[in-house]
Amino acid sequence: MSLSDLVLSLADNKQMLGLRYAEWATRAPSLEADIAAAAMGLDDLGHSRVLYGCLEPLGADPRGPERESDAASLRNLAYFDEPWTEWSQFVAANAVLDTAFTAMIEACVGGSVEVLQHRLRKMLMEERYHFLHGRSWLRSGIESAPLERAWREAIEWFGPPDGETAALHREGKLSMGPSELRAHLEQQLEMQAPRVNVDWRSWDPVRRRGKPGAIDAHTFGMLRGLEEKKYAPPPAAKQAAS
Amino acid sequence: MTDYKRVSGDAVEYGVFARKTRGEPLHQVGSVVAPDADLAMAYARATYDEERWCEMAIVRKDDVITLWQPGEA
Repeated sequence: MSLSDLVLSLADNKQMLGLRYAEWATRAPSLEADIAAAAMGLDDLGHSRVLYGCLEPLGADPRGPERESDAASLRNLAYFDEPWTEWSQFVAANAVLDTAFTAMIEACVGGSVEVLQHRLRKMLMEERYHFLHGRSWLRSGIESAPLERAWREAIEWFGPPDGETAALHREGKLSMGPSELRAHLEQQLEMQAPRVNVDWRSWDPVRRRGKPGAIDAHTFGMLRGLEEKKYAPPPAAKQAAS
Repeated sequence: MTDYKRVSGDAVEYGVFARKTRGEPLHQVGSVVAPDADLAMAYARATYDEERWCEMAIVRKDDVITLWQPGEA
């Protein structure tokens, strides 16, 4: 596992977070929350583009052709596999997972890799408003199940205490390792993480998750442009129009 | 279901002010309704960030002291 693998995981998760946020752009509890969901979705989709763009300068692009046909090859957390059905799921992702990804971006910006130091800095400014939004809604109280799930997946995503995130921290490429990232997240959210026992033996180090699974077929089709093609005019109609 | 009291019952109105250059004064560009300042900041930025403002600020509408209103001057 390399820094490129970590950046690709961050990019895939940001992409999925952006898409799931956007799905709530007309379903949130108020018009302001609708607009915030749309804006945060756009931000995170933009961040994913920047992160994908860092893979080439990092040297080894881990993306293979299987990403076009196998949804399980994408490196998103299980939390994003299915569309959210409850606002509490949105809030838990916004408060915990989005802030966990931002903590990792901070670790990249504070680390020794120049391309990440420079390209990811602006994201931190935009993420400040995601954090304020998530923390405010979190303080209002949400159901415990999505919150606990988000915490578990964030801790899993940071990686095992002796894994590659810790090694990247020791090498100076990241300014924080798993334990520092977790402490930072707890400090930001002003709460203790729930007690989570992770079986690191069954943890997938590439996808950084403990559970198997993949995003739903509709979302995967949309990512590959297949949903868009459904609405394209047939070839004959195109010719007649030209 | 989540209790949405904070949307209707607990929320207050904040005026949103912005300017594009240092030379111009802040002027009101709109308003947002939110239960606290953190969420109001997030909503203001999401709603009014289409233009390149060099400064944006929010003020609780309750904190504005009106000297006179239309029709009173």
